[in-house]
Amino acid sequence: MSDEFDDIQAIFFEECTEGLTTAEEGLSAMQAGDVSAETIAGVFRAVHSIKGGAGAFGHSDLTAFAHKFENVLDEVRANKIVPTPGVIRVMLSSFDVLSDHVEAAKGNAPRPNDGAALSALEQVLANKGVPEGDAPAAAAPAAAAPAPAPAPAEEEEDEFGFRPVGVSLEDLDSPADEPAGWVVRFKPSRAALANAGEPLLTVRELEGLGARVESVDLSGLPSLRDIDPEDSYVTWVIAAPAELPESDLSDCFDFVAPDSVIEIKRAAEDVLPEGATEAEMDGDEIPFVPVTATVDDFMDLGADPAPAPAPVAVEAPAAAPAPAPAAAAAPPAGGGGMPPAGGGGGGTGGGGPAKPANEAAQTIRVDLIKLDLLLNLVGELVIRNSILADRLSPADRQRVELPELARLTRQIQDNVMSLRAQPIRQAFSRVPRMLRDLSVETGKQINLETTGETTEVDKGVIEKIGDPLTHMIRNAADHGLESAEERIAAGKDPAGTIKLSAEQKGARIFVRVADNGRGINRERVRAKAVEKGIISADAQLTNEEIDQLICAPGFSTAEKISNISGRGVGMDVVRSNVEALGGRVEIHSVPGEGTTFTMILPLTLAILDGMIVRLAGQRFVLPLTHVLETIQPEPGQVKRTSPDNEVIDMRGEYLPVKRATEIFGLNDDRNIEDSLVVIVESESSGKVGLVVDTIDDRREVVIKSLDQNLHPIRGLGGATILGDGSIALILDIEALVSSPSRYTPKGLAA
Amino acid sequence: MSTTPDTANDRKIVTFSLAKQIFGIDMSALIEIREWDEPTPLPNVPSFVKGVTNLRGNVIPVVGLAERLGWEPSVLHARSCILVVNIAGKQAGFLVDEVNDIVGINVGEIQPAPAVETTMEESVIAGLVRIATRAKDGSRDENGSMVLLLDLDALSLTKHLDLAA
Repeated sequence: MSDEFDDIQAIFFEECTEGLTTAEEGLSAMQAGDVSAETIAGVFRAVHSIKGGAGAFGHSDLTAFAHKFENVLDEVRANKIVPTPGVIRVMLSSFDVLSDHVEAAKGNAPRPNDGAALSALEQVLANKGVPEGDAPAAAAPAAAAPAPAPAPAEEEEDEFGFRPVGVSLEDLDSPADEPAGWVVRFKPSRAALANAGEPLLTVRELEGLGARVESVDLSGLPSLRDIDPEDSYVTWVIAAPAELPESDLSDCFDFVAPDSVIEIKRAAEDVLPEGATEAEMDGDEIPFVPVTATVDDFMDLGADPAPAPAPVAVEAPAAAPAPAPAAAAAPPAGGGGMPPAGGGGGGTGGGGPAKPANEAAQTIRVDLIKLDLLLNLVGELVIRNSILADRLSPADRQRVELPELARLTRQIQDNVMSLRAQPIRQAFSRVPRMLRDLSVETGKQINLETTGETTEVDKGVIEKIGDPLTHMIRNAADHGLESAEERIAAGKDPAGTIKLSAEQKGARIFVRVADNGRGINRERVRAKAVEKGIISADAQLTNEEIDQLICAPGFSTAEKISNISGRGVGMDVVRSNVEALGGRVEIHSVPGEGTTFTMILPLTLAILDGMIVRLAGQRFVLPLTHVLETIQPEPGQVKRTSPDNEVIDMRGEYLPVKRATEIFGLNDDRNIEDSLVVIVESESSGKVGLVVDTIDDRREVVIKSLDQNLHPIRGLGGATILGDGSIALILDIEALVSSPSRYTPKGLAA
Repeated sequence: MSTTPDTANDRKIVTFSLAKQIFGIDMSALIEIREWDEPTPLPNVPSFVKGVTNLRGNVIPVVGLAERLGWEPSVLHARSCILVVNIAGKQAGFLVDEVNDIVGINVGEIQPAPAVETTMEESVIAGLVRIATRAKDGSRDENGSMVLLLDLDALSLTKHLDLAA
């Protein structure tokens, strides 16, 4: 049990992470002014799913907080609370607390102190969207009065009397768009499921007619442990456009077992949706009790200057007669169908069943290892394909089948590759939260502008740029941006701006963090570097070189060490992490105007643009990123400076020459004039000439690590499989050029 | 395939010849047997690592098992082949002189390897076991032959090679 349970819980946490990402994107969009219904609904769904799952797994703190948050979102969704900047601020900070709660549920963090956030949410709920001090609290007393229990609201039932108000409004809202639309209640029976009556298909069919799922009543859902996968626990409440004939709707249920609950009513005669939602929210089965509150609330709304859209007032009478049919139609909320979606996902809990209906995008979770295996096999397929082609006679080779097969195989390969690509949004998603924290810690106002978050990058790259990105953002917030007073004194907007952007250029991806702060103070950096012994006092450095010092190990110019950065590790870590990925960091700074850090990264860790060269007849791959130029040396152009050292005269510049064949202990008595010298540039040794026999080809190669089955070998960055199935080793330029000319002889190295 | 019919055999081993001895490895470690194909040589590795080869898109090392065990290097011939094995999740190919048979052995019959002085850092022989073998005419050879059971983990290819890195 427990293993399986843990597995399911792991899925839940993964979904939490996704949900949090979605919610944060939505909230950020709202903050940026997008308060469209979809955006709000997106955030609501995300939080709702988290709550549902948390409930199923018994994370009561998370559930309680998510519930409160969800309540506010629901009111916003129902146009009951206007998402003013103040409300959005409260929601953003609640989101942060929610993330902390998720971490706590994972066991990674202590339970967060959510008191402040809870009471802020309370406030918003009680004031109908007017957070303290944000607007005149005139509406507050009125709103609080009819709702019997908004005050304590610690427990779910506390706001019981208050909750349905918002939902009923939502229900009133939809008829405003589609007057007196249909409301369909659908609760498949156990028998329906046993007959393979897939409720999802029915729901989809209804959706095809223009209907949408209003709510899903999960109150009958037992705890995860008690679920009978073959039983049915869920009730759907679906709104359909009024103009549809009733027969169209009932046709959808033709194949559903007759003992299922199927009710098709005009919305005006039915307030059940609110009942269902109510039950779903609060796990209570007496949805219509607070109807009086509903009516009262309309009065309040009418008087309330802020939200109260006109149609609401008009529709109020329509809702008033609700109690009777509602009572008549209300079946016990128990029972309901366990949807197959929930059964499959197991841990999806509350969010699961509603999701497929609401979200068009369908995704599937796949283990990365399986993807890599697939990639390997497809690569092999491509190779076999070309070997086969070579075996055929030239006439056969020209026939249409073979090129067709080759093209298809290539397409499969490209597609499999693209499966690993993910939008860089995943790496950017934690930045807004971080900046909110930083803003509080530093007392600076910081605006974030993000562009290019849909740029797709290899998953491996995304995972690895998180840390460097964090450091860069912290550095920009802490060192780059000035305090508001300083900014005003400099004639700038008191709020600083950090621009985060990503773009793809060829096989590289550029991730920029740009601030409009004070820029790098080069004199101070230089003085600090001298003081720390990083450079000598009389070193002649260009501006760019001084800027680069920021990335030197142990360098920190922060006058006081803050909690955020300035521990002298930040930018050093950035540089080493990025270099480990095969990328580099560029710094561009204009005093008084700001600093831009650019991470230039390979698009994927698995592909490399390489030059196929031969060393002593054996094929090797030289990464093209290091190659500057290639020359065929003239007699006398390469000279020895000592028995073991050679230099090449490149237009008057003398560059050291390394023979890879010697470094690798390969036999090579080729004359230097018959060889080629590839000029490569390395971080550690600058420009170096590398002697190779010939250059065969230039191509993209898939990098295979040697340590997967062996161990890393100095001088080699891995291996690749060439078109004929043979292996070529990939040269590690950095290690090669910085190594002594001759290694210990083969064998002794071990 | 098994030359001993009795059902008490609780472990299957693959036997192969190397330097005129018969060695055995656990059947469960074997992935496949391939023809010898010249691997791509690697620089800066011990001489017993012949290079790397392509196993369905995976780059795996090819090890001269004879050298690794301290015998004279194998001379390549028509029946030379590569045993691809899985050692603690890593794959490696072993060059052996000839693959003989798959036999069932009884774990109880495995004798510990005599503690003889060895030049190796750790004994790679997990034990000795006698198996029945077919004589030339196909009849059972009652004396059987001795099989040296290899302890694949003790070959510690990766650990050994780390020094070269």
